[in-house]
Amino acid sequence: MTIRRVLILAPTVLILFLIQSYLWVPTYEEQTRGNPDRLNEYITASIGDASILNPILSADSASSDIQSLVFEGLIDRDEELRFRGRLATSWEIYEEAFFYVNEDASIPGVGRARAQEVVALIRRAKAGEIPTDPELETSLANIREISVGPAKNFLVTRYEKKNEEDKTPAELKIQVSAPARIKLVLDAVDQDLFQNLSHILGKDYFSSFNGQGYLTVDDERWQEKRTKYAEKILPATEHNPIVVFHLRPGVKFHDGHVFDAHDVKFTFEAIMNPKNLSPRIADYEPVKRVEVVDPLTVSIVYKRLYSPALGTWAMGILPEHLLNDEALKKEAIRLGKDPEKFSMRQSRFNRHPIGCGPFVFREWKSDQYIILDRFYDYWEGPPNYKHYIYRIVPDLLTQEMEFYAGTIDSYNVQPHQVERLRDDPRYQNFSGPSFGYTYIGYNMRRELFNDPRIRRALSMAIDVDKIIDYVLYNQGERITGPFVKQTDYYNHSVKPVPYDPQAALRVLEEAGWRRNKEGWLEKDGKRFQFTLITNSGNDLRKAVLAIAQDAWKQIGIDVRTDLLEWSVFIQERVDKADFDALILGWVMGIEPDLYQIWHSSQTHPHQLNFVAFNNSEADDLIIKIRQEYDHERQVAYCHRLHEIIAREQPYTFLYVAKWTAILDKRIVIKETDRQGNVMYKKIKPTKTGNFAFYFNKWIKLPEAPGFAAEG
Amino acid sequence: MLSFIGRSIIQKTITLFFVSIVSFLIIHLAPGKPSQVDPLNPKFTPEIVERFRKEFHLDKPIYVQYVYFYRDLFTGKTVSWKDNQSVLGKIWERFLNSLPLFIVGTIITWTLSFPIGIRSAIFRGGLYDRSATFFSYLLISVPGFFFAYVLIIFVVTHFHVPVIGLKTFGIGDASWLRMIMDRVWHLLLPSVLGATGGIAILSRYVRSQMLEVEGQDYVRTARAKGVPEEQVHYKHALRNALLPFVTMFGLILPGLIGGSVIIESIFSWPGMGRMAYEAILARDYPIILTVNFVSAVLVLAGTFVSDLLYLVVDPRIRL
Repeated sequence: MTIRRVLILAPTVLILFLIQSYLWVPTYEEQTRGNPDRLNEYITASIGDASILNPILSADSASSDIQSLVFEGLIDRDEELRFRGRLATSWEIYEEAFFYVNEDASIPGVGRARAQEVVALIRRAKAGEIPTDPELETSLANIREISVGPAKNFLVTRYEKKNEEDKTPAELKIQVSAPARIKLVLDAVDQDLFQNLSHILGKDYFSSFNGQGYLTVDDERWQEKRTKYAEKILPATEHNPIVVFHLRPGVKFHDGHVFDAHDVKFTFEAIMNPKNLSPRIADYEPVKRVEVVDPLTVSIVYKRLYSPALGTWAMGILPEHLLNDEALKKEAIRLGKDPEKFSMRQSRFNRHPIGCGPFVFREWKSDQYIILDRFYDYWEGPPNYKHYIYRIVPDLLTQEMEFYAGTIDSYNVQPHQVERLRDDPRYQNFSGPSFGYTYIGYNMRRELFNDPRIRRALSMAIDVDKIIDYVLYNQGERITGPFVKQTDYYNHSVKPVPYDPQAALRVLEEAGWRRNKEGWLEKDGKRFQFTLITNSGNDLRKAVLAIAQDAWKQIGIDVRTDLLEWSVFIQERVDKADFDALILGWVMGIEPDLYQIWHSSQTHPHQLNFVAFNNSEADDLIIKIRQEYDHERQVAYCHRLHEIIAREQPYTFLYVAKWTAILDKRIVIKETDRQGNVMYKKIKPTKTGNFAFYFNKWIKLPEAPGFAAEG
Repeated sequence: MLSFIGRSIIQKTITLFFVSIVSFLIIHLAPGKPSQVDPLNPKFTPEIVERFRKEFHLDKPIYVQYVYFYRDLFTGKTVSWKDNQSVLGKIWERFLNSLPLFIVGTIITWTLSFPIGIRSAIFRGGLYDRSATFFSYLLISVPGFFFAYVLIIFVVTHFHVPVIGLKTFGIGDASWLRMIMDRVWHLLLPSVLGATGGIAILSRYVRSQMLEVEGQDYVRTARAKGVPEEQVHYKHALRNALLPFVTMFGLILPGLIGGSVIIESIFSWPGMGRMAYEAILARDYPIILTVNFVSAVLVLAGTFVSDLLYLVVDPRIRL
């Protein structure tokens, strides 16, 4: 019967055809043997795809992985996390400080003084003719030049809205007749300059400067805002730190165009251009202007003291010749789009980036892979690998399977997966602390948590070491404060809160909490009760949630728990500060700027100090850290701030998870010395835990080399 | 006939209009915001968030947003918020990737279900039928991702060959035949896994249809006439049992765009389902809404096609 035969034959043939394809697929070993070029390829896997390959527009980690290879910044950080030059060979930082002559103030021993007299006074003090204290002396010794800017008259035009709905702001003219202004050029940035100068100029010399007396506002309606205008237009004092970068000569973009100072200026302007909607605008907002001194020197003048600013120049530099207005206009016309509306965001460049980094972009297939080739003209010499392939594999287990199958060289290996492969002779593994921590935060607006003793007692009841052992498979470390553990800013003398439930009970008793008949803690007839929340979808946090609940129950605290979907968690609870305690984590940068998370001004809805931490000494230190350019002093301030935060325990600081990585043992560091001798070295993570720091020197060998015993 | 087509088109357009409103509302009322407006990234100042909201028209009333969105969709100007790529271009690219998976999966499902189901019906109650029933229910009840993991781990650890993605990475410059076979191999596991559920359900369905038809009078008459057993099964019974399946063909159309989120994610297959899933996670409204709209169109078109097919194959129905 034909129908019957067809019904049986069709699926059999189909299945046989599909299965025979197995015979054509190369196995792990065949891939390197059958295709020697595979050794020159480095394939890595990522969960998510890149979104936009333009360093000034992207904000996701996959894009920045690729950008770090295609683009190059002026500086980056070396093994010790210090800055080192990349596109810049060196840089210097100095300051220009300004203040207006306060003609109404009386200077001790001089009386009312005009500009020339003030300058003469400072010169005399600098020469040691006036008795000074040591702090003032350092400030004075730091002054390189003093000059006077004459008094001048000018007109400022502002646009004011009557209220939020006002669509056409009114034009407002302000006539300014500014007094003389004194300019000081300093050798190094000095945040205490004006405070120290007031020792000779009088305590109120700067604060009593009456800016609004020099303004005439032509419109009656805005008279009451004069003080505000005065602060903006005529600030009594001004710090202008200046960074001068000396650029590396002869560096080329991938298309052969030579890199120079105009590209740096262009990159800055592109970020600030509102049309581009750059998420990095906040980093560069403190920049007053960027000046091209000559093609290989660029100077960046800042509006105010802002020490994290230097680190922002690690951002990739864009090629001006491909993205300036003219180029974009041409592209818009070619694509048949409106040149007026066409911005860098729409440009084809974002999917075909050109930078001056070690790898040249070749191809990007969305949600599949991104391929890069090595750049032969790279200024530091081309990398050893010929190709870099970034595969998108959205599932962690299949990433591991692909690793076994030999089609990826490295992946986001999880702690328990490392455990499986630790003893396999084919692989080498690495781990180190990451740049982030997990914590339990207490809402200090709630009466229950506004006593530091109670917060400390709560921390004492949790056995963090056990959490690290059993939840993290030992792939974690304790942390005691808000700084990155590998940096100098972290204060290692702060000891972690010990695990001691009995002591915790004693502390709670001091605070008035006693156990009742059923064993619950009680004060004035009220039970110690609160809700601990976290977001769902994070198994580690969920485990910590259960452990904390149980630990606190042991000492008689009635804890309810709740898991919320991420966006509900953020919008309804965190943003509105509607929680008792929560488990969350921060991923940190290396810069020790803690303003957004710990400053008391950042406690409003939608701001990041949602636990409402408020400590005036800490506030003061946070500002000082932000303004300090001297590393040693910054470290001292950070250590003090770390102590305060650890003492106050607004969070129970739990742990820093470790990152883990696994590689085939055949991947090694290959170095060629001057005589052309090739040396192979084992890959070792740097002190700060970056195992891929020397990535450009990596290569895969056909056989794993034997290394002499490591010294 | 023509009036049926006309009426049906008008009805379906109205349904589509309501679908567009409801899906638009659901997505905008659901908690969570597009990642560009995510306030927990300290790098995003309120000014930037405000500017993005303006750029995405999120500051406008919802009905204005609705009009803007569908105006852009019909003029083909919608772009993804994630990377500024044209949404229709992205969907087309993904559609081409999902297509082979869909075709192979469908062929496997339909070619395998019939022999399995028919045999079950013929030897009803026997060992074969019972074990087929058992395996069908097993396949229906065990989640697909579990099978996927077990299969992947088994294949990779025993045969040491890659199975993830569209093709083997680093295969180099192999011959074209090898390249094609490599792609076929990578198609095998995901499409078999995608088909298992379908086979289990469809073969049950074939079995019950066959049993129903075998009990009919005309089958008994055929037997009584002395028609050979095989001819009774495959000519008289099967032909009539096939009728409902013809209409089912129209209903598989929406599966084209839906793809399979889980299978595509596990096998990192760059298909439609995965794109839609990732767009939902990132709250990339233009992509979510467009996929939604296109799949609504396909569902409606599918029911329309199956109505027409029914008209064609069943002479008893006349409109």
